Amino acid sequence: MNLERIPNEEKLSLCRRYYLGGFAFLPFLWLVNVLWFFREAFLKPTYTEQLQIKSYVKKSALGLIVWVAVLTTWITIFQHFRAQWGEVGDYLSFTIPLGTA
Amino acid sequence: MNTSDSEEDSYNERSALVQCESPTIPSYHQDHDMSLPQETDTKRGRPVSSGLDEPGLVERERAATPDGEEEELTLKYGAKHVIMLFIPVTLCMVVVVATIKSVSFYTEKTSQQLIYTPFKEDPNSVGQRLLYSLLNTIVMISVIVVMTIILVVLYKYRCYKFIHGWLILSSLMLLFWFSFMYLGEVFKTYNVAMDYPTLAMIIWNFGVVGMICIHWKGPLRLQQAYLIVISALMALIFIKYLPEWSAWVILAAISIYDLIAVLCPKGPLRMLVETAQERNEPIFPALIYSSVVVLSADERQRNEGGALAQEGVESEDDVALGGRRRCSAEEDLEEDRGVKLGLGDFIFYSVLVGKAAANGGDWNTTLACFVAILIGLCLTLLLLAIFKKALPALPISITFGLVFYFSTDNLVRPFMDSLAAHQYYI
Repeated sequence: MNLERIPNEEKLSLCRRYYLGGFAFLPFLWLVNVLWFFREAFLKPTYTEQLQIKSYVKKSALGLIVWVAVLTTWITIFQHFRAQWGEVGDYLSFTIPLGTA
Repeated sequence: MNTSDSEEDSYNERSALVQCESPTIPSYHQDHDMSLPQETDTKRGRPVSSGLDEPGLVERERAATPDGEEEELTLKYGAKHVIMLFIPVTLCMVVVVATIKSVSFYTEKTSQQLIYTPFKEDPNSVGQRLLYSLLNTIVMISVIVVMTIILVVLYKYRCYKFIHGWLILSSLMLLFWFSFMYLGEVFKTYNVAMDYPTLAMIIWNFGVVGMICIHWKGPLRLQQAYLIVISALMALIFIKYLPEWSAWVILAAISIYDLIAVLCPKGPLRMLVETAQERNEPIFPALIYSSVVVLSADERQRNEGGALAQEGVESEDDVALGGRRRCSAEEDLEEDRGVKLGLGDFIFYSVLVGKAAANGGDWNTTLACFVAILIGLCLTLLLLAIFKKALPALPISITFGLVFYFSTDNLVRPFMDSLAAHQYYI
């Protein structure tokens, strides 16, 4: 859908719903929120709802950064220590690479 | 299938005065579940109508401009639409071919087959194989016909909730289960360790955002990307689970069915289109791919008054067109004209190219089929611009594709191999 065509109240409501939805373990939704509403929030001339949209975009960005940090840490730990964890490592693994320890 | 052109129907009060009809396009998505005899809906392309469809617009244009002008616009739009459809179709095919070439899972034939193709082909006997593939095709096509008719009946009797539930279930299956399988196979191919928590996050995010984008509201590009991805996933499933010869016969049979269903007066797809047009409703978004052409402001000629709204008019001569004023002198309004192609078209095009890539692994054949399908698509869109009504998009492309596949495989490939063997370059 084209953001140009909908009134500002609907834009705000959409941004808000995307923001709230992201709390359900959905950092991707926050990413989409940030990318989609970035122009609306920061590069457009001011309108009434823009301040709130800005705040939602910023909060979504913050949440996204937190999730990226958490996931990167976990993935690094897992990839590094998987072999050493033995049984627990295998239990956690969806695919186990062949030919390595 | 049919490609259709429809106007963006969310005009606000500042929009141009002319109401654009959106020809609805029925698309049926066929979903096959290997283990459960689930219902499937067949995704089909929609009728395509050219962008200059709204009666008001066409009339005013005809009144104000000579006929050559209108033809020029039609052709300009036709060219733009062709390009707009090339890209997603190409992307879908690229994804399918890339997967086929790299992940061997989708080319390994298992003994497990879809329930829609109950007869197992015996590779030893040509006659029996031919017979069984014909029987498989008959079963599959009858399933499709029945599903299509059920969908049309449901639509006619306004059982929207049921249809929406059905569509949601099938896209749920695609977005979660098939992508889970796909990711698993990709990870195995590249020998990557993946843990369950990360995998769960990935699948969950992918699936939920996909459902939101497709069935509710989301950025257009993301929605288009998701539709391409689910078409590719579906095509991969077909390539894996349809037996060799049955797949080719099914492709041919589906094109014929498409032709009949869209063009015959009592064809289910045609009835669906007409019903939707009568009710002036858009077709379910989960079944069709729509791209929009957004005309930027500088492409339009404007009066000094700044209040001339021009709908979809790009040529300089349009300054002479008066009589179209917007309600308010706002800034530039962008005109959206869309082309719609059913997801079933994407799926079957990709199945054809994917099978060409899977058999023998020769790039000549794959590229030949790819080019054939694009040529077919061009021709279909040309016909669309001429006839301005719902057209099936499968027949021409699939015919060309099949012809090119079999001729390249049997004539060109041995020739090229011979040349290479004798080191003779032409």
